[in-house]
Amino acid sequence: MTRYLLRRAPSALIVLWLASVLIFLVIRAIPGDAAAVLAGADAPPEVVAAIRHDLGLDLPVVSQYLHWLGGLFTGDLGRSYLIGGDIADLVGAGLGNTLTLTLAALVIAVLVALLLGPLWAATRNRWVDRALTAFHTAAVALPTFVTGVVLIIVCGVWFRVLPTGGVPPKGMFDRLDITAQYLVLPAVCLALPVAGVLTGFLAETLRAELRQDYITTVTAAGVRRREVVVRHALRGALPVVVTTLGLQTGSLLGGAVLVESIFSWPGLGLLVEQGITRRDYPVVQVLLILSVAVFVLVQLLTDVVHAYLDPRVRLGGKA
Amino acid sequence: MSTTERNPVLAVRGLEVSFGPAPAVRGVDFSIAPGEILALVGESGSGKSVTARAVLGLLPATAAVRGSAKLKDRELVGAGEEELREVRGRGIAMVFQEPATALNPVHTIGWQLSAVLRAHRKATRAEARAEAVRLLELVGLPAASVVKYPHQLSGGQKQRVVIALALANEPSLIIADEPTTALDVTVQAEILALLRDLRDRLGTAILLITHNMGVVADLADRVAVMRRGELVEQAEVGDLFARPSHTYTRELLAAVPRLGHRDPASYSAESTTDALRLAEIVVRFKDFTAVDHVGLRIGHGEVLGLVGESGSGKSTIGRVAAGLLRPASGTVSVFGGDPVAARRDLGFVFQDAGGSLNPRMTVADCVGEPLRVHKVARGEEYRRRVAELLDAVKLPASYARRRPRELSGGQRQRVGIARALALGPRLVIADEPTSALDVSVQAAVLDLVTGLQRDLGFACLFISHDLAVVDSVAHRVVVLWQGKVVEEGAHHEVLRAPREEYTRRLVSSVPDLDRAFARV
Repeated sequence: MTRYLLRRAPSALIVLWLASVLIFLVIRAIPGDAAAVLAGADAPPEVVAAIRHDLGLDLPVVSQYLHWLGGLFTGDLGRSYLIGGDIADLVGAGLGNTLTLTLAALVIAVLVALLLGPLWAATRNRWVDRALTAFHTAAVALPTFVTGVVLIIVCGVWFRVLPTGGVPPKGMFDRLDITAQYLVLPAVCLALPVAGVLTGFLAETLRAELRQDYITTVTAAGVRRREVVVRHALRGALPVVVTTLGLQTGSLLGGAVLVESIFSWPGLGLLVEQGITRRDYPVVQVLLILSVAVFVLVQLLTDVVHAYLDPRVRLGGKA
Repeated sequence: MSTTERNPVLAVRGLEVSFGPAPAVRGVDFSIAPGEILALVGESGSGKSVTARAVLGLLPATAAVRGSAKLKDRELVGAGEEELREVRGRGIAMVFQEPATALNPVHTIGWQLSAVLRAHRKATRAEARAEAVRLLELVGLPAASVVKYPHQLSGGQKQRVVIALALANEPSLIIADEPTTALDVTVQAEILALLRDLRDRLGTAILLITHNMGVVADLADRVAVMRRGELVEQAEVGDLFARPSHTYTRELLAAVPRLGHRDPASYSAESTTDALRLAEIVVRFKDFTAVDHVGLRIGHGEVLGLVGESGSGKSTIGRVAAGLLRPASGTVSVFGGDPVAARRDLGFVFQDAGGSLNPRMTVADCVGEPLRVHKVARGEEYRRRVAELLDAVKLPASYARRRPRELSGGQRQRVGIARALALGPRLVIADEPTSALDVSVQAAVLDLVTGLQRDLGFACLFISHDLAVVDSVAHRVVVLWQGKVVEEGAHHEVLRAPREEYTRRLVSSVPDLDRAFARV
């Protein structure tokens, strides 16, 4: 396994580096000048130039890039132009909240898929099939800002059972039951599209798996239908699902930006939003490279899990 | 078996199965006594597998089953899902054709055996594991196999595991659906011996479904012959072979190629040059040496049979001869030159005729494609050549406009042969051309090939795993084993009086129809 990781590591690093170049260039290609925004609309050109010099924006692009790259390695992420403060501190503050939210959403999505996927694949009941088709379509098609608002109206305004935004006043780890109350709506909202995609994929993979010869073998041996699906077929479908899950990380990260803003969840998503609207390049840059890093890491992880789940890959031989 | 009627394990009466309006099985009656081996024989589409699966309720929901199938006193037709589940594995178990796919690739053998054991009885993990080891030993596998994954076992070993799975809950009947069709002939002999031994030791009755008359002769006590969904004849195996009463049975038996039933055909060299000459050919795939210093030659108009089991390198040699694969070392010469340069003089016939024809082209387009590619004929001349070719392979001219999927397997192979002959090749390479065909169709296709070869006089490299087939078409035979030539000589010498140990084993593994005749 270590050898497998070592073999994959160089390509992951190259992806990260290419992403850093791309992010740096794209940010600079966007119209708008941070120095001008910072100086204010009526500032004289000398002030704008002074601010530009102060921020290092008058240096050649290559040296700006190298300076930034060096900072990434030494942990000096630079200073925010407009939000204020060290970016490392800003990111550190939001990271915990965002991780809590995305992990909760991930767990919900996986549980929903593991519950509904096999049911959908194995059901012979027309109504169950229709209900699940409807759920799948809605979950995949409805954008987060619609489900978010609907959830807020239903659970926070009509029934007033759950808080509609913010984080627990005394921190995440003070009272877990209170944390859960604050977490439920944003996590469900974030999880829904991923749960839909995963359920669909799992059901489809299971259906294909249930047509395999080895399923006939165990059915003919008298193994119960539920066990055939859960213990025999599901195991064969898991590698595909893990890969899909890895690809869905992107959708989780992107969704988090919207969800955090809908539910005023003070995480990195909110920071991204502020950074973009205020043209705070250094903040956006760091957050982008961070999300690429998470994505690359998750891909690496899914490959390892995939190899572990498939003995033909793990023990060599033809897959 | 006079006990059959008194206390049958399984009694099937008036069984009918239909998918939509078309009945697939009609009025089938048979019964099996305890410890008896009944062979259900027929060609593809005869309804033998459908019959077996109907008994266990394993058909898709679109199938309508009527009639009766009784396991001892228990009616299975129309039984509920839970009742069927109890019967599956414990009353009647199944062994399938393709061991490569019949096992779950992501679980160990021990896990799969335990899962099946625990479907019918409570057992702790350790008890199930111990029982799994006992079952593996019963089918002649080492206890260590319990921790192996399917991909770590050979085809024969996998089929032993599938049989162990079937035996797990001590069924009174095993339905074996083409249990040896996917296996090499020496492995087939081992599996047949195992089934016979299990019947003798455990008294398990076996319903053997097969298209192979040799397997029937080897294993069965009684035979039921199916054709187009109906049972046409039932008899003791000796009687059936000696005095087949139904015309179809007689045709079926006559079509089975048999070793040593053709007059020795000799080939006299007409010229000193060879059609094909391979010398010291070596082919490696990574660390695996597929072909190891093989040399062979085929004279003009000679048919050379290349026989061997799977993995022996016979198809690889075919690809080298065709110039499709460059050997690591050694020389290939086709009519004294490079095989790529001689491509117009080469014709190929593949095993999977369906897969080798473009489904979007008409039969005429498929056959005529080489003529178009090499620009040898166009317009009226082209149409005339295509018509001649279809006529040569005995396909009606009306078939020209059909698509491959509208043809039967045998007809598709005829199209494949017509295409191979389109350019008037002087060397034809045929790789298992009849392996996917039913026995009566195979006989007709072999007849066709021999006739065309005699008339047109092309040389032929005929690759096959079936010794009897090779014996019926080849002048000379080369036996391959693990990438090396083991024995070579005239067909009647090599296949009837083999000198080498391996060839002897190969020849003696072929299930023997003649032995069934001798049993009478």
